[in-house]
Amino acid sequence: MVTHWKILTLPILLALLTATAFSADKERATLIREDSLYASAGANAQKLSPVGRGSDLTILERGNADGQPWVKISMAADQQAQVSKEVTGWLPAKAVITASTPTGDQIVFGQAVDSEHQAEERGGRKGAAQDALRLYSRVPELFPGSPLAPEGMWRAADIRWELGKADFRAGKPPEEKYLQEVIAKFPQSKQADLAAFDLLEEKMCPEWRGQADCPLKESALYEQYAHEHPQSPKAAEALYNAAWRQAALVDIYRIENDNAKSEAARKKATTLAQELQRLSPQSDWKPRAVDLIYKLDKKIPVFSAAVDAGEMK
Amino acid sequence: MKLRIGALLLAISLFPWTMPAQEKEQGTLIDEVTMYVSPDLTAQKLARATRGRDVPLVMEHTTIGNQAWAHVLVVVDVDRDRETTRQISGWVPAKYVVSNSTPNGDQIIFGEAVDSEQQAEQRGGRKHAAEDAMRLYYRLYEYFPNSPLAGEALWHSADIRWQLEKADVRMRPSSREMDPNLRVPIDDENMKLVMKKFPHTKWSDLAAYDMIDNKLCGSWKGETKCPEKESELYEKYAREHPESPKAAEALFNAAWRQAALVQMYGAQHDKERDKARRKATELAQEAASKAPEASATGGDWKPRAMELIYTLQQGIPTYTAEADHK
Repeated sequence: MVTHWKILTLPILLALLTATAFSADKERATLIREDSLYASAGANAQKLSPVGRGSDLTILERGNADGQPWVKISMAADQQAQVSKEVTGWLPAKAVITASTPTGDQIVFGQAVDSEHQAEERGGRKGAAQDALRLYSRVPELFPGSPLAPEGMWRAADIRWELGKADFRAGKPPEEKYLQEVIAKFPQSKQADLAAFDLLEEKMCPEWRGQADCPLKESALYEQYAHEHPQSPKAAEALYNAAWRQAALVDIYRIENDNAKSEAARKKATTLAQELQRLSPQSDWKPRAVDLIYKLDKKIPVFSAAVDAGEMK
Repeated sequence: MKLRIGALLLAISLFPWTMPAQEKEQGTLIDEVTMYVSPDLTAQKLARATRGRDVPLVMEHTTIGNQAWAHVLVVVDVDRDRETTRQISGWVPAKYVVSNSTPNGDQIIFGEAVDSEQQAEQRGGRKHAAEDAMRLYYRLYEYFPNSPLAGEALWHSADIRWQLEKADVRMRPSSREMDPNLRVPIDDENMKLVMKKFPHTKWSDLAAYDMIDNKLCGSWKGETKCPEKESELYEKYAREHPESPKAAEALFNAAWRQAALVQMYGAQHDKERDKARRKATELAQEAASKAPEASATGGDWKPRAMELIYTLQQGIPTYTAEADHK
């Protein structure tokens, strides 16, 4: 009985192992120019569907047609790429980048940068931001050991975050998980610091309505960030934001006739701005800190002036 | 002796403008303020003066109650479109005037200029914040010429003016003309000033880069002469300004135009096509070697150049009609 069981399970195990080995052998790839998916190799074959830049591809087979290499690929369902179900077909191989393409990480990253620029340009290519998002995402997936992997993952998460914020204005909150993944995968990196800074936005009040609670909480959040991420490229900006909110509190408390709190906020704002001056002697944040200290010293309103001018920093 | 003193007083009264500029208190406004006939918030209002307005003279100071006031001459716009101005004198709260006698005045003005520039870039930012920034940066250069920030400030002021004018020029139908001489050029007076006052600096390199805009075709219309000329212009810039922060970008732009020529020449002109491919590859390799690694703050020219080299090797088209204005 025991022997029978062993004999029966052996083929199942073998089949499972073969399947695992097969999937591990499959080469993942992406595309750096949009193209059409063909039913068979060859430019005269039936076109099945468009394939966008940065699509997540798996190479199933390689071949030649029309004097050039072709690859049979399967493309996973991807909502961002507007692919509703897995599809297979053939693509000309020249724009397909795999993990074994020499300097493939730089090529995919370079096309991502190009797409991002297109997205920012007036009259740039439609869907270029989504292309950039997908291409950046592919860098850590295809080239996990590349020095560009953390930057690719961060930029993809940041674009997704920015696009999510636009949706948020339409009532859908942006997803935090991609930024959290950057922090989890590349802790103590510059990219993790940047992701943590983006995540602060979620904790900001949509409006202050002249109340002290919001700037008080936001100032504490920014100060905490600056002290927890002293090496971050955003540390100076966070300190400035913390100082500016304290400066706004000077005006808010003054309007509320709470002179003691107003004076305490002035001292705190000045201390934070002075800290910024020391920490960023070469950047634009130093003169901005000097300007803020001057305004605090001369009692030039920061918040009420901003409200009057219809602005919000 | 009496004669000498009398002559001296006469000379001073006749030629006050010969006094060195440093002896006059001059500056700018760091906030939008109301000007009054007398130093009193209830006095008759004269005008509103915006950030960065020229204060060519602070005539006197006084303190009334706890409020310090300055009697100033301010240059205000008469007609914004025609750029006509006039000088008016009046009283403003002194705290809004940052002059050449204000400690750290250069840093305060620069900080306010950066703030205005950020406002201009923000969605829903303050109206005319870009112009405020442009004026504030210029005032720093004008009244603090020895500040370590003077060169950068003049460059920022010139660049903002350039970008505003460029946007304006792009709106005109002539902007699509192939020949750059058929459109109104962007005024390069301030860019030339940057190059004259701060030669061999990062700021003069940046000014020279901006000025290439005036020599670029409005559109290529599928003709090779535009990308040929533009590639030459960018390559020349990269050779003449090797230390410029824009050197790698200029090389990439030169390479990209050569890559476009590869397609434009096509199979009919294979000799020119092959030459353009070689040139594009060489320039892209140079751009990749010159550029630092990709970063959020630095350029991304290395991976972009690597991608261009790959597309050239594989024969992937880079130039399309949609990218004609690239």
